[in-house]
Amino acid sequence: MSILLDFLKTTGAANMEPGNLLMILIGMLFISLAIRKDYEPLLLLPIGFGCIVGNIPPIAGMSVGVYDAGSVLSYIYFGVSQGIFPPLIFLGIGAMTDFSTMLSNPRLVLLGAAAQLGIFLTLIGALYLGFTPAEAGAIGIIGGADGPTAIFLSAKLAPHLLGSIAIAAYSYMALVPVIQPPIMKLLTTKEERLIRMKAPREVSQREKIIFPIAAFLICALIAPGAIVLIGMLFFGNLLKESTVTERLADTARHGLIDIVTILLGFSVGCSTQAQTFLSPESLLIFALGATAFAVATACGVLAAKFMNLFIKDKINPLIGAAGVSAVPDSARVVQMVGQKEDPQNFLLMHAMAPNVAGVIGSAVAAGILWSVLVG
Amino acid sequence: MSGLNFNYQNILNGQGFELAFAGMIIVFSALSLVSIFIALLPRCLVFVNRWVPEVHHHSAPKARAKAPTAANEAEIAAAIGYVLHNRAGGPA
Repeated sequence: MSILLDFLKTTGAANMEPGNLLMILIGMLFISLAIRKDYEPLLLLPIGFGCIVGNIPPIAGMSVGVYDAGSVLSYIYFGVSQGIFPPLIFLGIGAMTDFSTMLSNPRLVLLGAAAQLGIFLTLIGALYLGFTPAEAGAIGIIGGADGPTAIFLSAKLAPHLLGSIAIAAYSYMALVPVIQPPIMKLLTTKEERLIRMKAPREVSQREKIIFPIAAFLICALIAPGAIVLIGMLFFGNLLKESTVTERLADTARHGLIDIVTILLGFSVGCSTQAQTFLSPESLLIFALGATAFAVATACGVLAAKFMNLFIKDKINPLIGAAGVSAVPDSARVVQMVGQKEDPQNFLLMHAMAPNVAGVIGSAVAAGILWSVLVG
Repeated sequence: MSGLNFNYQNILNGQGFELAFAGMIIVFSALSLVSIFIALLPRCLVFVNRWVPEVHHHSAPKARAKAPTAANEAEIAAAIGYVLHNRAGGPA
């Protein structure tokens, strides 16, 4: 009988705290959003289930949780905490990204740069709220709307905030279709939303092959901190565009990225134990993350409007919103908002240019913040 | 973070404005250079292509063999029938 009583004391139900219950409910909400609303299901579902797993109270003396040395979950989480998974995801993204629209209209690259203003303005906001410069840098990168980059930088600069930053980044990426449209409509007139852009020119295979090598050299020589992310992104793209390593590119964009996404999403979810996750800092990070996303979207749209003052072939300012990375969801949102005004206006292709430029921009920004704020 | 402490001085102590300004300048510089490179690349390639013409790689992805369809099943059946007919000694 005493064994049974001792066992009952060690059950998850006996040790459950209200915070754990809340996190389990949040995990269920993520799963629900992934299945019912189709919001970033590849990420929200593993993260959601990870939240549930990570909030089952551990038994004292048993190495089970993600923060317990030697546990299975801690080994999986090692890929997150040491920044190993994000570059592997970038490799897969590179192997599936077609830079053609960006190569055919190079001025759209600047929209990807403008949207990164959200990162740096959020950094200032985080400093104002009392975060240290390293923490503020890790929080600011949420504005880049790039989950792997946010995880990579927070693992380097503020590992104790990694769970909150990762959850905030992926939550807002999932909510791109909700957050962006009101800002886009607020900052543009109907006439601007109706602008039709010229069809992109055809890009030669040689351009596509030279681009990843040259762009890597440019970015890495300016911001060496971005070597890992940018290097893997462009390496993946070279595998794709060279056409001689199709097997490797195929593995990178399918098998590899899927495996890493599962491990990353699940272990990030597991890291959200209520005892470490539920804090005033986490709430502030969520508030700052939302601000970062909104500011980045606004900066992209306003930059497109500004560019229109000087150029002959006008840019539809809606595509500026795609500068926040979140590939390809923010480009899809641009297409959706544009087609509400003119069903025959196809902006998706054009929006992919600032979208992929935003990925490069946020990785460069992460490299800069890492090199300046580390230590 | 050592506790909530909303203060403008925090930004100055953390060199927030300098960091944000320098960061944006660097991001814009990097992407502007990428943009300029992309704009110049087709012009450079006009010259390069004169000396080193673009080639199609031998190991470019090949189209997968098509599975028999209703349309080519008839052709296959006709070919098999022709071979069997010849083996049976029928007129060519």
